[in-house]
Amino acid sequence: MNIPEGILCTKTHEWVLEEGEKATIGLTDYAVEQLGDVVFVELPEIGNTFSKDEVFATIESVKAASEIYMPVGGKIVAVNEELINSPELINEDAFQNWLVQIELDNFKDDSEGLMEYSDYKEEVQ
Amino acid sequence: MLTLEEKKTVLYDEHIKLKARMVPFGGWMMPVQYEGIIKEHNTTRTAAGLFDVSHMGEVYIKGIDSLNYLQKIVPQDISKLEKGKAVYCQLPNYKGGLIDDLIIYNVKGIIDEIDYFIVINASRINEDLAFMKENAKGYDVEVINKSDYFSMLALQGPNAKNIIQKSGIDFDNQPKFFSIISSNLFNIPVLLTRTGYTGEDGFEIVAKNEHIAELWNKILSFKNETGVVPVGLGARDTLRLEAGLPLYGHELNEDTTPVESSLGFFIPTDKKEDYNGKDIILGQKLKQIPLRRKLFAFIMQDKQIARAGYDVYLNGNKAGVVTSGAPSCTLGKNIGFCMIEFDNLDNDLVTRLNNPKESIGMNIQIMVRNKLYNAEIVKKPFVKKNYEK
Repeated sequence: MNIPEGILCTKTHEWVLEEGEKATIGLTDYAVEQLGDVVFVELPEIGNTFSKDEVFATIESVKAASEIYMPVGGKIVAVNEELINSPELINEDAFQNWLVQIELDNFKDDSEGLMEYSDYKEEVQ
Repeated sequence: MLTLEEKKTVLYDEHIKLKARMVPFGGWMMPVQYEGIIKEHNTTRTAAGLFDVSHMGEVYIKGIDSLNYLQKIVPQDISKLEKGKAVYCQLPNYKGGLIDDLIIYNVKGIIDEIDYFIVINASRINEDLAFMKENAKGYDVEVINKSDYFSMLALQGPNAKNIIQKSGIDFDNQPKFFSIISSNLFNIPVLLTRTGYTGEDGFEIVAKNEHIAELWNKILSFKNETGVVPVGLGARDTLRLEAGLPLYGHELNEDTTPVESSLGFFIPTDKKEDYNGKDIILGQKLKQIPLRRKLFAFIMQDKQIARAGYDVYLNGNKAGVVTSGAPSCTLGKNIGFCMIEFDNLDNDLVTRLNNPKESIGMNIQIMVRNKLYNAEIVKKPFVKKNYEK
């Protein structure tokens, strides 16, 4: 599993990779490991807008459903369709199997308080 | 989160060594999974799974009035329970709601001086004992809590009988379905029963606390030959759900009778003795008293998973609640139980729900994250039971 360079993480275990106007969002490897076998992923519709910390998706293990929060605000421009049909892929690689891509709203302000991956890893261990 | 109240089973350190994820359950810290719920579930169905169920309670009943006493507290006819046999029972309160469900074993001649052995749910030990002792007044009977003395393992799956054979008891000497023997595994004295909570053939092994770790490790050492793996409470829940078996606190509670919880099959109509809640339980079984609610099994038609607590709708109106729900690893569909309340439904609909010929196949809706999704009422169990009888 490759950890993309430059990702920022939230305390609620989402990661975001900023790429200019856009960003890719997913769930951290630690969160996925804690969830166990993922059996269902519900992703938002393209075009919907969410602000930072808003619930935008749901991920379910055999045991329970968990809500996923926006690490930064923006408009959904792509969802990972592959995960809808094969949610177990996220157990294999939580970074390659991203959830959504967004058009960023205000990354500079929204990203305040997010952690670099190394700091996040330290925090959760 | 670990609080001071959670107890540890004798096998706690073994679970940690196996890197289990521990969670609080019924007042105990228990393993929810080791390698993963799906793998543990499937291995139990295809090979064998070993479960630590030491949190469950054990009770001895002894005394001249043992039989009369049990006749008073369960709907089943214990006079028909032969030595060495077991029966699935319910413990109704005075209004016919359930304090617990349990298995009663006739252990006369199997455990010295003891007449009956009862296994009860971990989360209900205090309630059961208080109620059982209250009901013992006027009977020459002793109700003895042995929960802190015994530990218990469940060994379940098609290879379970081979493992028991390797552990020292030949097929011919193994207990038959819903029976109990006193014997030795690896020269350790055990009570061995042919029961379980997965829908598979299998055993439950009761032993003194000090022997349980040795039994656990020796059985798991047969992994290469038999495929046996440790299985946590996560897969225990999905296995019992597929088998259509109820879980106390979900499908069973103090306000709901066994007939309403779809356990009417287990209620005899020919038992002469009076028992707690008999008027309503037998009345409902004989269709002389209407049900207030009823438990149904369902399969989701959409990909969404129904979870315990989600609202259930009939024809657009809220009519009940999901009591258990999970993906079925065996079926590849999402399954569950729901309790439909009859008080606000029109009579015609209630009549149809009460008639299995009409209710099976009926469409219901389940509210998942503020949207309604379709489900179909089905006959339980979801997965055919694989018992050896």
